[in-house]
Amino acid sequence: MTLFIDLTLNGLTYGLIYAAVALGLVLIWRATRVINFAQGALATLTTYVAATLLDRSLNYWVAFAVALAAGLIFGALTERVFMRPLYGKPELNPVVVTIGLLILVESVAGAIWGSTDRGLTPAFSQLGLTVGHTYLDFSSFDIFILVSVLVLMGLMLVLFRWTSLGLKMRASAFAPEVARLLGVRVGRLLTVGWALATFAGALAGVLVAPLLLLSPNMMDPVLVYGFAAAVLGGLDSPVGALVGGVLTGLGISYIGGYLGSSMETVGAAVLLVVVLSIRPEGLFAAAKARRV
Amino acid sequence: MLEVSGLSVSYGPVAALSEVSFKAEEGSITAVLGANGAGKTTLLRALTGLAPVKSGSARWASNELIGRRTEELVRLGVAHVPEGRGVVTELTVEENLRLGALWRKRQPDFRQLIERTYDLFPPLAERRSRPAATLSGGERQMLVIARALVARPQLLLLDEPSLGLAPLVTLELMRTVKELSRRDGLTLLLVEQNATSALSIADAAVVLSIGRVVITGDPKTLAADDQLRHSYLGF
Amino acid sequence: MSRADRLPGAERLKGLQGQPLAWHIALGIVAAAVLYLVTSSVSLYDNTIISEIAWYAIAIAGLSVLTGVSGQISLGHGAFMAVGAYGAGLMMEHFRLPLIVPILVGIAVATVLGAVVGLPATRLRGPYLAGVTLALALAAQDLPTKFSSLFNGDTGIIVNQATPPGGVNPERWLAWISLFGAIVTMIVLANFMKSRYGRALKAVRDDDIAAQASGLNPNRMRVLAFALAAGTAGLSGGLFALWSGIVNPNSFSLFLSIQLLAGMVIGGAGSLVGAWWGALALVYVPQWTNSVTSHFSSVSAITANVQGAIFGLLIIVVMMAAPTGIQGWLSGGYRRLRRGRSRTELEPVLPLDLDLSSTSTAPERTRP
Ligand SMILES: Nc1ncnc2c1ncn2[C@@H]1O[C@H](COP(=O)(O)OP(=O)(O)OP(=O)(O)O)[C@@H](O)[C@H]1O
Ligand SMILES: [Mg+2]
Repeated sequence: MTLFIDLTLNGLTYGLIYAAVALGLVLIWRATRVINFAQGALATLTTYVAATLLDRSLNYWVAFAVALAAGLIFGALTERVFMRPLYGKPELNPVVVTIGLLILVESVAGAIWGSTDRGLTPAFSQLGLTVGHTYLDFSSFDIFILVSVLVLMGLMLVLFRWTSLGLKMRASAFAPEVARLLGVRVGRLLTVGWALATFAGALAGVLVAPLLLLSPNMMDPVLVYGFAAAVLGGLDSPVGALVGGVLTGLGISYIGGYLGSSMETVGAAVLLVVVLSIRPEGLFAAAKARRV
Repeated sequence: MLEVSGLSVSYGPVAALSEVSFKAEEGSITAVLGANGAGKTTLLRALTGLAPVKSGSARWASNELIGRRTEELVRLGVAHVPEGRGVVTELTVEENLRLGALWRKRQPDFRQLIERTYDLFPPLAERRSRPAATLSGGERQMLVIARALVARPQLLLLDEPSLGLAPLVTLELMRTVKELSRRDGLTLLLVEQNATSALSIADAAVVLSIGRVVITGDPKTLAADDQLRHSYLGF
Repeated sequence: MSRADRLPGAERLKGLQGQPLAWHIALGIVAAAVLYLVTSSVSLYDNTIISEIAWYAIAIAGLSVLTGVSGQISLGHGAFMAVGAYGAGLMMEHFRLPLIVPILVGIAVATVLGAVVGLPATRLRGPYLAGVTLALALAAQDLPTKFSSLFNGDTGIIVNQATPPGGVNPERWLAWISLFGAIVTMIVLANFMKSRYGRALKAVRDDDIAAQASGLNPNRMRVLAFALAAGTAGLSGGLFALWSGIVNPNSFSLFLSIQLLAGMVIGGAGSLVGAWWGALALVYVPQWTNSVTSHFSSVSAITANVQGAIFGLLIIVVMMAAPTGIQGWLSGGYRRLRRGRSRTELEPVLPLDLDLSSTSTAPERTRP
């Protein structure tokens, strides 16, 4: 029973990290029909920025904030420099560019900071908590992970549902031409969208680094599971990203815990195939617009 | 006044508009007519920076429209209701309307503006928080026109507003359009397949054929001239 | 399409073009003769490189047909190579059979797996399918560890060099085998693209409903495409096993799949000639960067990463400067030179479902 509880809590923790990555992928997919494979690498870069600041013994929260801000900037730059010239070109091209960027960024990170694993000081203790008389494999830092991702999701929800900026972003994503006719500067909003998406990735990076150890390709598996989560939830749906992330996290945690860790990837693949066979566009596939 | 002169558009080797020139008085309704593929939609798209203009100009008030970016035009008082499917189906009715008001940084009268628009189109008011995807075709047309009005334009470009509407609804729509033009001093370019109803409310008419202006003039004469109707409007 | 029909003496051969198979075989024989001369005249080391280029080109060509002709995308093609390599490797380890048998077994197993994976592919589109193939690539890396007794875990299985008939150097012999495999692959794929099935696949890619209406079964076509691409990767994997002498999970990391995809797009998606450009890039760019950096820097963190950085940069630059890949760029240049001739000889290098909506009438869902 404690194993089950531990696995559940663990799965939730990782699941929310996957959800943050998935959210970043969904935001970009919705707006530009691109899967941003560089998202993980960019997050690694921002996490290294945080690590460097922490090494200079800066306050954790300063480093945390700078990493997230760096995420905004890297995202915006990526869109401006690499994506903008490619809109309207064959669909595969921007995707492949993000793959090129993934390799480039990871190599640059390796050249600057070396390829060996290193730790990252967490914000809170990573020691398991004791509830009553049971020791749980669940720490204050894990709680911090849950809270920060949920806060991120909440902020995004508020932004998209209730602000003009969010409305403009949704309009630009769904109907760019109509949005432009109504005076929305669609190009600028795409940049904002990429910035926000990379911001979400940057959060995932600083949160996951204390769990995984920081190295140039730390985010590779996280990105793959985040992608699986986004696909599972439905690539157009931010809510799907959250649900998909949690399901992926739990699924992998149970499979790893009960069947052994080498079954994790196999289990995830099977799960993905089964779910997509039933719902080919993910759990939260957008209802088809009524044709008139 | 809107003054279009020598406007040419081509898609690659295909010329969609050649040397189109005409004038539209301020506060008037100009019907733009022509057979399928005549270039009506292209004309409106050229005016709002959506079609590749080769040469020519279009002056509105004291501004040149050609060469500007689409998103700037609403700031010059130009609103364009595109042909078909202009509704953002993923948004609610109200969000679609809000979108029209967003271009102004401060929107003090925004609530009031939307309420006034609802008065004009009561069916929309009842459905304000529904996803626009659930609207009927006619309701969608109302929504896109209402949204354009929320943007408070002085020049309104309507591309086939009657598309897919029942004759009675079309009549109703034309009356509303006429009313708007009179009340707010709107200048209108009205592209229509349904020539009879468009001519019935228009102050002037422009007939396009294969990308060229073949007739400009008084809508009444045009409606009366069987020969012209036959050769260019196909009825 | 073929380079030969621009050669002066090629007029006579034109008659063959009516029968693609005969034509492709004729081309193949010419290529084999040329390659025989090349392999005999270059060093043994270069022969190893030739083998490497060959197995890369085979895998990329299959992927290219899958993406270019059917519009499907696989991010896990390395997994099919792994299947071919393990299949062939295990056969060679346990049985003494002529070389062709284990290779064919590897192809067969990969093809079957491809068909199985192709089944969900019948319903999935774009990134959803990419997600599945990506997960597959990861799983393929972990399975050998899970079934350690069969696959010998992370250590992997040792594959003995192919024993050449008397007098021939093993490196040269392997180069011949690999090139033979590559030529057969190119003939099969070229023929497939020209065949009823290939054309049907294009129809399916362009318009599902129209294809259905004309009596094709789009789903069956997609499974077929996937199986074919997987089988080609299986052959590539078998040759890889011979080339590297060892088959272990590390050889088939996700990075391999990504490399193959990158090679395909760099060369030009949908083009068989492009597959060779891609293979050349995958083999020579790392070599070249290694030799250059060793001159300039001795800091290990930097030297270890320059290769990756340049590779990444190359992908980005090619995609931005030549969106249809090297082959698309070359044939574009060729077409520009020949402008005015009525017949366009060159198959367009196929981009994935070109986004026609962005210029035409549908205002929704278009990109700026
Ligand atoms: N994006 C485009 N690319 C190529 N040709 C185009 C494009 N848009 C329009 N055309 C062509 O330009 C010509 C004029 O088209 P346009 O849409 O303006 O016609 P229309 O008068 O609005 O017709 P309808 O009454 O059917 O809406 C047509 O021949 C059309 O095929
Ligand atoms: Mg039209």
